[in-house]
Amino acid sequence: MITGFGKNSFALLALFISGFVVLNGMIDDWGRLSGSFQNLIDFFHQSLWPPDWTVLEAQAYPVCTTPEPFSFTCSTAWIGMIETIKIAFVSTILGMIISLPIALLAARNLNSPRISYLARFILAAGRSLPSLIWAIFFVILIGLGPLSGIFAMTIYTVGYLGKLQYEAIEGMDKAPLDAANSMGLSKFEKSLGVVIPESANHLISQAIFMFEYNVRHGTVIGIVGAGGIGYYINLYLKFLQYDKVMAYLIIIFITVLLIDFLSIYARSFFNEEDNVNRPSWWGVILPDILRWQ
Amino acid sequence: MTGNNENQNSKPIVSLSGLTIGFDSKNPLVQVPDLKIYPGEIVAITGASGVGKTTLLRTIAGLVSPITGTLEVCNSILPKLPPRGSVGYIPQRLGLVRHASVKHNVMMGARAGHTNPHTITPSAESLSRTEDAIERMGLTDKIDEPIRRLSGGQQRRVATARSLAQSPRLIMADEFLSELDEETLNSVLFEVTEYVRSTQAALIVVEHDVSRAKSMADRMLVIDDGRVNPFLSETTALEVNL
Repeated sequence: MITGFGKNSFALLALFISGFVVLNGMIDDWGRLSGSFQNLIDFFHQSLWPPDWTVLEAQAYPVCTTPEPFSFTCSTAWIGMIETIKIAFVSTILGMIISLPIALLAARNLNSPRISYLARFILAAGRSLPSLIWAIFFVILIGLGPLSGIFAMTIYTVGYLGKLQYEAIEGMDKAPLDAANSMGLSKFEKSLGVVIPESANHLISQAIFMFEYNVRHGTVIGIVGAGGIGYYINLYLKFLQYDKVMAYLIIIFITVLLIDFLSIYARSFFNEEDNVNRPSWWGVILPDILRWQ
Repeated sequence: MTGNNENQNSKPIVSLSGLTIGFDSKNPLVQVPDLKIYPGEIVAITGASGVGKTTLLRTIAGLVSPITGTLEVCNSILPKLPPRGSVGYIPQRLGLVRHASVKHNVMMGARAGHTNPHTITPSAESLSRTEDAIERMGLTDKIDEPIRRLSGGQQRRVATARSLAQSPRLIMADEFLSELDEETLNSVLFEVTEYVRSTQAALIVVEHDVSRAKSMADRMLVIDDGRVNPFLSETTALEVNL
């Protein structure tokens, strides 16, 4: 007889084998992998390392008027990264404003299935395409630049954030809604007076997470000309200047890490309980295993 | 099944007939052959855990559809729901908005009773009812405090204030007196019974504590073996007919 542990192990093994079978079907020649690691090492030493930090130097044109210690603010890396953050910020705000009313309509504990499915369809349409595809669409529609990026990421944010929001609303405690329903409050009053305040912590936390997500994805949409640091990455990729690309990637990595850390710290203020311990600044950065407690 | 209230000649606030409630038509939870609750009357529902006291209350509140039977609450026959603000329901878990203030929560009740649903700002009447209900429940010093920072007893007082601010014709409370100390319990009970008697509203209260139920109610309904009985025995009947 298979015990509970045995059953789980068997399921895990079956999953692993089926994964391997599918992978094997997709790879025609395993021999191609043999030299790949050496290729990576060669590529890293010849093209990527050391990174070319001239990307942090002020551009020749337009002339930089900022004094010397801060002249890096005229560099392509700084300008691109700040533009990416701005695009992510505006898209998150716009996305949240648009998605919240749709999420309220999509929540099944507030509306009839007909209204709920219609709203869910709208949200699903928004996230069915990645922001990169939306960016290509808007670059064709309104041309190159950050505006295309803002539109693209706003639409994706509406779809993605809206889903998180209606799931949070559906997961809220039933008792406040019962009390509001028996009182005869209108849907508008219930939404504004009960649902939004009751799930506010989740909604704020999700918006912060979405901003962090948008910063990460904002670096990609620039590749298709929708503004941000991705534009410069694409430019240097075309000229095969991989050392400069490496410098941009390190800058993106540090920025994303910083925003990730700020996001976790900010979200800790919107925990359900007041007496929850705030993460220390160190605690956010260090993995669990390296922490004292 | 009727009470001994002098208002039995007036139209009942709640009238049930042949009501079967529950979630499975083949296995109903409670059957109520006939029940009328009159203005100014306080009715306590007791019974063991899980017999369907809360479901009966939720059915009367219009939150659960009955399997069979007719149900009339505040002159509205199901499936038509009672008029806005006419029913104040205090769920067992109170149904307060935990992250909002005491004032916000009580205001929700006052809005339902005294503000047009199409206006955003609450009426002056709603504002004064809110402050009055908070004062009567002794929570004036906590008016801006979020609910999650209040004790269990204080939260029960907020839920009661919300219902009083609504000025409903029917208050339904699911064990709203638990977690209250003796002094607060008496003061909350006094305010609620005073409201019911003075406005000729009705109060249905689910109460585990039989002696407390007897002390507060005009009539006591016992849910026993899936049926609502007016009283379990003659002795009980004599004790509870106040």
